[in-house]
Order: sequence, then structure tokens, then C-alpha cells
Amino acid sequence: MERDKHFVLGVYEDEDVLLDAVAQVRNSGVKIHEVYSPFPVHGLDEALGYKRSRLPIAAFLFGMLGTTLALTMQFYMMKFDWPMIIGGKDFAGFPNFVPVTFELTVLLAAFGMCGVFFVSSNLKPWGQPRIFDIRVTDDKHVMAIDLAANAKLDEQQIGEVLKATGASEVNKKNFD
Amino acid sequence: MGKQVIDINWDQKFDFAGTFKKPIMKVLVLGAILLVAGIVIEMMAGGHEEVAEAGDHAYHWYHRLFAAIWVNNIYFAGIAVIGVFFFALQYAAQAGWSAPILRIPLSFGNWLPYAAVITIVSYFIVGHDIFHWTHSYLYDVNDPQYDRIIDGKGGFFFWPMAKGSFPIFFIVRMVVFFAAWALFFNKLKQLSYAEDLEKSDSYWRRTRTVSAIFLVFFAVSSSVAAWDWIMSIDTHWFSTMFGWYMFASWFVAGLSAVTLITLFLKDKGYLEMVNSNHIHDLGKFMFAFSIFWTYIWFSQFLLIYYANIPEESVYFVERLQSELYGPLVFVNLGLNFILPFLVLMTRDAKRHGVFLKVVSVLIIVGHYIDYTLMVQPGTLREHGGLV
Amino acid sequence: MQVTSSLREPLITGGKTLKDVTHDVSRHVEGKPTLSWILALLTSVGVLGVGAIALAATLWEGIGMWGLNKTIGWAWDITNFVWWVGIGHAGTLISAVLLLFRQKWRMAINRAAEAMTIFAVICAALFPVIHMGRPWVGAYWALPLPNTFGSLWVNFNSPLLWDVFAISTYFSVSLVFWYIGLIPDFATIRDRATGLRKTIYGALSFGWDGAAKTWFRYEAVALILAGLATPLVLSVHTIVSFDFATSVIPGWHTTIFPPYFVAGAIFSGFAMVLTLMIITRKVFKLEDYITIGHIELMNIVIIITGSIVGIAYITEFFIAWYSGVAAEQYAFINRAFGPYWWAYWAMMTCNVISPQLFWFKKIRTSIVLTFILSIVVNIGMWFERFVIIVTSLHRDFLPSSWAMFSPTWADMGVYLFTFGLFFTLFLLFAKFFPVINMAEVKSIVKSSGEKVKK
Repeated sequence: MERDKHFVLGVYEDEDVLLDAVAQVRNSGVKIHEVYSPFPVHGLDEALGYKRSRLPIAAFLFGMLGTTLALTMQFYMMKFDWPMIIGGKDFAGFPNFVPVTFELTVLLAAFGMCGVFFVSSNLKPWGQPRIFDIRVTDDKHVMAIDLAANAKLDEQQIGEVLKATGASEVNKKNFD
Repeated sequence: MGKQVIDINWDQKFDFAGTFKKPIMKVLVLGAILLVAGIVIEMMAGGHEEVAEAGDHAYHWYHRLFAAIWVNNIYFAGIAVIGVFFFALQYAAQAGWSAPILRIPLSFGNWLPYAAVITIVSYFIVGHDIFHWTHSYLYDVNDPQYDRIIDGKGGFFFWPMAKGSFPIFFIVRMVVFFAAWALFFNKLKQLSYAEDLEKSDSYWRRTRTVSAIFLVFFAVSSSVAAWDWIMSIDTHWFSTMFGWYMFASWFVAGLSAVTLITLFLKDKGYLEMVNSNHIHDLGKFMFAFSIFWTYIWFSQFLLIYYANIPEESVYFVERLQSELYGPLVFVNLGLNFILPFLVLMTRDAKRHGVFLKVVSVLIIVGHYIDYTLMVQPGTLREHGGLV
Repeated sequence: MQVTSSLREPLITGGKTLKDVTHDVSRHVEGKPTLSWILALLTSVGVLGVGAIALAATLWEGIGMWGLNKTIGWAWDITNFVWWVGIGHAGTLISAVLLLFRQKWRMAINRAAEAMTIFAVICAALFPVIHMGRPWVGAYWALPLPNTFGSLWVNFNSPLLWDVFAISTYFSVSLVFWYIGLIPDFATIRDRATGLRKTIYGALSFGWDGAAKTWFRYEAVALILAGLATPLVLSVHTIVSFDFATSVIPGWHTTIFPPYFVAGAIFSGFAMVLTLMIITRKVFKLEDYITIGHIELMNIVIIITGSIVGIAYITEFFIAWYSGVAAEQYAFINRAFGPYWWAYWAMMTCNVISPQLFWFKKIRTSIVLTFILSIVVNIGMWFERFVIIVTSLHRDFLPSSWAMFSPTWADMGVYLFTFGLFFTLFLLFAKFFPVINMAEVKSIVKSSGEKVKK
């Protein structure tokens, strides 16, 4: 069977049932393709075994880039390229450079991180989502299980596992 | 997540016996020895030659002791009242996360009556050497040392008595603030105990009301206390930010003390309910308010530096352009901003006791230095410093 | 495991289910515009049009159309600028600071508050641009461009330039924060729609599929953005206050300005949020999401920030006396008892006294009184900036330069223009965008909804 084409879907109504179900399904040896929810479910990432996000690191690095750029720019312009006496202060009056440095740090950290988020999550205006069940943006949680990734079990058996964990419906979805 | 049964030993009591008493006593003795040694060294170091030439304003060894006493008074009174403030804040904000640790900040309030007595008594001993405005010649128009600016402020200290006599207004404020803080503390303590014993929401509601009233009182009294006890040392100088600056300093030091004691008790096997999420929240508080203190410090500094009006900038000139205090200003910023900021930036550091303990100690020491920098230049001039 | 406490009020009433949330919010986007909305939009566009005449006159004739004079070189324009920027603080405060403090009640109001923030900042930014006189000649001079563009480098020692960086950073970061929050909700609307609407909301939703992995990253992004936006929101009004406080003008140069301006900004921002939310919840029938509880909490924020502002006023007054600086003392006496005494007392009444009424539970849980007081606060905060700016300037150092300021029709018209712009944008937002963050509200339906409580 081809990968990423044929799925069994377990539909869940309640986030706490879902969290238990994810743990039980994983314990029973079934690999979960992904879970789709209408809202962020706390603890779902841990239940699915996702590693901690590295987005904070991206934000930090972009922030440092912002700090460096801001300081370089200000010192270069005010101290070296065209020094002028303003308010009787030193050409490189560091305290005066703090506000702009702060702003550019935040600007680059925020935009850099969001850029990484959009790219890594494949979010773009022309993006076409693969919709397993249209209700996941409304009121249902859907656990998708790739049949090809669970070759040991057939559709029937996976459906039973899902039912046993509290799925209100079990459906099948094929993509061509 | 499923149903979790939380099994907590509710009857656990903190037993202040041998194992705790001993180290504390040791620290006490060590402190006493250092105090005596410090006095002796200061006496030996002299300052005798200057006595002759400088007359009334000569530097004596005990000035140093007095300045240190004043720093301690204000710093520890601050941490004590911040404990009560933090407790009240949690109730007013209906915070749930802090419930297991709230008794720790509340307990800080136990110091308030002692702080009150020590501060008031020591004012009568050290006040004259700490506060320039206590000198009566400043208000005497015929005296060559008459000071028109300080004369203008005199009412703030002496009203309704004659300027230069007994600073009744100042003393009354000091007594009222301490008394009110201690009373609020007692009330909150009673309500908090009652809430535990009688399982009723009504105590929570009453605690919330008392907390809200305390917060209003504290908002005003902390600022006025800052003007009275610290800002008036540099009598000519003024800054509208000062009240909030001192509050920020107190608050972050108090938060660090709460964190440090929580971690300490946790290590000893107490506070079973406290998990790494609580520790994380305390860490976030310390991180955030270190930045807040820096924000206040920087805003005050930048505005004075930028406008460069002599009567204001003298405050920073005295500190930054002094060989003694200049480096301390940077130590102050390093301990209270740069180190906490860098160390506590990651999530792991805020959840692990080791980092937090180190940072709490840094901040507690750092803000002691902060207070030293507020008090010493105005009282000891070139005789100050940390060692 | 849901832990409930008898002390926590439900944040969502009416026993709403997840489906109800989707329906209650989406139907306004999907339905035909109501008559009241069309009338409101026409009024706003009308105001915009009338204001545009004043704006056109100002741009055509120059800044001479305004009532400024040599002594009072900054008046209505910068008063309006600071006022709008201040209003623009509540949205990011609600979404960022309250997120960090895990205040779940933010979820029902953050979307509209952030939208309001963005529109208020747009209105604010217009004033410095208009004040350039002929902005088409060189608004880009505010950016650090090399000399070949005809000027020297910008002056990084100037607080006005810091403002350029602060406001543009704040605007763009707030916009991104707001938009990322909107993506899942656009997906919800996309999945309910057909035809052209599906295409448009499909593009707006960036191909969102609700995967756990994406949600997990989304939450990480929201948390870090909140961490970045919190100091950012403080920095913006801090830097606005630097515009005044770095100077040596008595009444402007005072060190408490940064935190005091921030508190004032939050104060006026929450007042504007209340004004708008009270109307929105009524018109869109969202009373179950924006409950009396929400209004009460916002009123408590107003008491706190109003009191902080009050303490700052008293501090300024006291320190002016304590400083012994004659000019400083005069500036404050002149504020309270000089020719502009009415502006000062309007400010004191509206900002310090009126919010204290919210100590009474009856008042802070009354919709009508809250609505009235929220407008009173906004009037007060406008007067605060007027008092600080005009009253401090009108008595110059040289008595021969003493002057009074009176606004011209162009001053008022340009202010009116920004009102028209603000409400036009807000009404368009309220019609075409989901006014409540559905995804976030859904996440608390179970824990903070009415069902578990009963």
C-alpha cells in the first residue's frame, strides 16, 4: 500500500478523551500520522512525543542579529561616517543608542521567528491544505492513522483500537 | 492526563530545631565577628588628620557604620514589606498558581515590627550623620551655611514645628508607615490562617478586600518612604521616578528571597506541593522584574543624562565619575540585569534549582549594592565603598 | 483533569458548545451586512470625508492652517498623536501581557482589542507624517538612508527618531501577532464557505490544517511573541514620553514620565476597548462571550492604571515643590491655576476621580455606567496630553513670548479625519473578520464554560 494516501480517521469530541486516546493508541503500537484539532490542546505535543520547539532559538539568533546590526549601524553613522556634536554629547553616546537597538532587536527577533514558523509549518497564502475532515476547524478532533505505516494491522483492527479509546466515529479517507 | 490523585502530607510542619538553628547561629556569630573586625579596621584606618581641617563635617569611623546600618534597615524592611505586598498582590489578582508558596512571602512580614523599632531607634542615633537636612544651621538665614533650597523643603520634614528643630512630620510618617504595614500584615496573617482552618470562601473574599486596601496604601507609602528614607539623603537632588525605582529594587530583591527560601525548603523535603512549574513561575517573575528594574534604572538615568541639568546630573556625576563608586555602578548593572538576564533566558534555567539559587543570591547581593550606591555617596563621600 | 474552584466565575455563559462558538462568531462574517452596520459605516465614511477636507486643506496650504504659533509649536497634532498611540496599547497588552500572566479572560477580547490597536497606531502615525508639511517630498528622510538621498544620516540621538523605530516596530509586530492569531479562524470560515468567499478566506488562512504539530509551533510562537511584545509595548510609550522628557522644558522634563505614560496608555487603551466592546457585544449578540465578568475585570484594570496615573500626578506636583526649582514650581501652579486651569481640572476629574467610582461593584458591573465612564476616561486622557503639551509650552522662558493656543477648524478637522478612519477600519474589521478568537475561546469552553460550573 502506498504511503500517505490511505488513512483511518478517529473522530473525538472531547480534548481529555483525545489525550488519553493518543497515549493508548501509541501504547498499543499503532503509529499516529497526525492529530487535527480546532484549537490548541495542552499536553497533546507531549502525548504525541514531539520534541521541544526550536523556535525560541531562532528568535534568539535573529534578535542577536538585530542587536548587532543596530549597534553597528548607529556607531558607524554617528561616530565614524559623519560625526556631529549633538547636545554636547560624545559622538558615540551609547545610552542614546539603546532605544533603537532595543527596537531593532525585537523587530528582527519577531519577524525572523515568524518567518521560520511560516516556512517550517508550510503556511503560505497559496497553500492548499489537505483536509481529512472538514469539521476539524469547527468542533471535532481527528486522529489520522496512515494504513501504510501500520502494515501489521488492517483497517478493521485499527478502527477497533480507535473505538476502544473513545472515538465517536471511525472513518476512512483516501487521497489520490 | 487522566485523574491524578495528589497525595500530600498536609500536616507537615517546619521544625526550627538543631539542623536549622546551628547554621543560622553560625552565620550570626560570623556576622558579629565581621562587624567588630570592620569597626576596628575603620578605627585604625583613621581619618584623624581631616578632623582638624574639616571641623563639623569630618569623617569618623562610625559614619561608615551608620551608613551600613541605614542601608540594612531600609533594605531588609523593604524585603519584609515586599513579602506582604506579594501576598496581597496574589490575592487581589485571584492568582491560583502561588497558593502553595504564599506563606513564605507572608512570613517575611514577621520582620516588620523589628524593622520598625530598629529603623526608628537608629534614626535617632544615626540620622544626624545620614541626613544632611537635619542640621539646623541650614534653615538659619543668618548662618553663613544657610541653604535656600533646603530651607524650601524644610516643611516636608519639620512641619508643623519650626524648621531645623524636631522633624516631627518625617518621624510621624515613618511610624505610620511601619505601623500600618505591620497591622496589615497581622490582619492578612490571621485571615490566611483562618482560611485554612475554616473551609469557607468568605475568608478568601475578606483577604482579597484587605489585600486591595493594603495595595492602595502601599502604592502611596512606598513612594513617600523612598523620598523620606533614601532620596532626602542627597537633599538637593530630586527625581520623580525615585519612589518607583526604590520599589522596583525592593520588589526584585523580595522575589529573589522568596525563590531562594522556597528552593531551600524544597531541598530539605518540605513543600511537597511545589513542583517545577511553581519554580518556573518564580523564575519568570525574577527574570521579568530584573528587566523591569533595569527599565526604571535606565529611564531615570537616560533622562538625566540627556537633559544634563546640573542639579539633577550631579547625582550620577558623583557616582559614575568617582573611582570608588564608578565601578560599583557597573557591578550593580551586571549583577541585577546582565547576569540574571543571560542566565534566566532559557526555560531550563528557570526550572532548575541550581541556576535559580545562584541568580537569587546574585540579585540579593546586587540590590544590597544598589542600596549602598543610593546611600553611601551622599553620606560618606570619598570614604565609602564595599570593602 | 479539570480543577475548578467555587471562586472562579465562568468566562463563557449560556452553556455554549464548540459548534456554538463557531456559529456565533462566523455568522456575522457570512451574513448580509445589517442595516445598523451600514448606517454606522456610512456615518464613519462621512466623518472621514468631512475630515478629509481639513486634511486636504492642511496639505495644500501647509501647517499654517493649524493654530500653532512660535511659542506653542506642538499642540493638537502631537496631543492627538500621543492619545492615539496610548489607545493603541491595550490590544497588545491584553494579548501579550495577559497571556504571560495566563489570564484566560483575555481570549474573548484580544482579537478586537488588537485590531483596535493597529487602527489606533495608524491614526497616530498620520500626525507626524502630516506635520512634515509635504510628506510626499521626503517622508523617507526619517529612515537611515545614505547621503546620496540628499540628507545627512538621521540623528540617532533624537527621541523623535527613536519614535520612528518604536512605532514602526510596534505596528509591524502587533500586526504579525494579530494575523497569526487570525489564521486558524480564517481556516474555520474557509471550511464553512463556498465560492469566492472560500477562495479569499482560503488565501487568508495560509493553508492552515489544524495539525497538532502546527498548533504546537503556533503556541510556541505566541508565547515568544508575547515575551517580545511585552517589553515592546512598554518601550513604545516610554519612547513617546522621551519626546518630552529628554528636553529641558519645565513640566516636560521629569523622570517619572516613562512608566507614567505607559500606565496612562494602558488606562486609555482599556477605556477605548470597553467603549468598542460594549457596542460590539450588543450589536453582534456576543453577551455570552464578553460577559459582565470581562467588563468588570477591565474596569478593575482601569482602577489600577487610573490610580497609578493619579499617584504620578501627585508625585510630579510634590517633587516640583520639593525640587526648589522656581520654573518647575511655576509650571505646575500654572497648570492648576493658570489660564488653562479648566483643562487641568478636566484631566483630574476624568482620570483620577471618575475611575475611583469603579470601586463600587454596582458601578463596575453596570453596562451603561461603564460605557459612560469609558468615554469620560478617554476625554480625560486627551486632556492629559493637552495639559502636558500646551500648558507647559504656552508660558515660554521669555515672558514676552507668552502665548495662548486656540485650535483652527483644520486642527479639529484633521482630528475628525482620524476618528472617521478609525471607525471605518474597525467596522470593516468587525464585518469581515471574526471579532472573537474562536480557536482560543474553544480551548476554554470546557474548563471555563458554564457547563462544568453547574
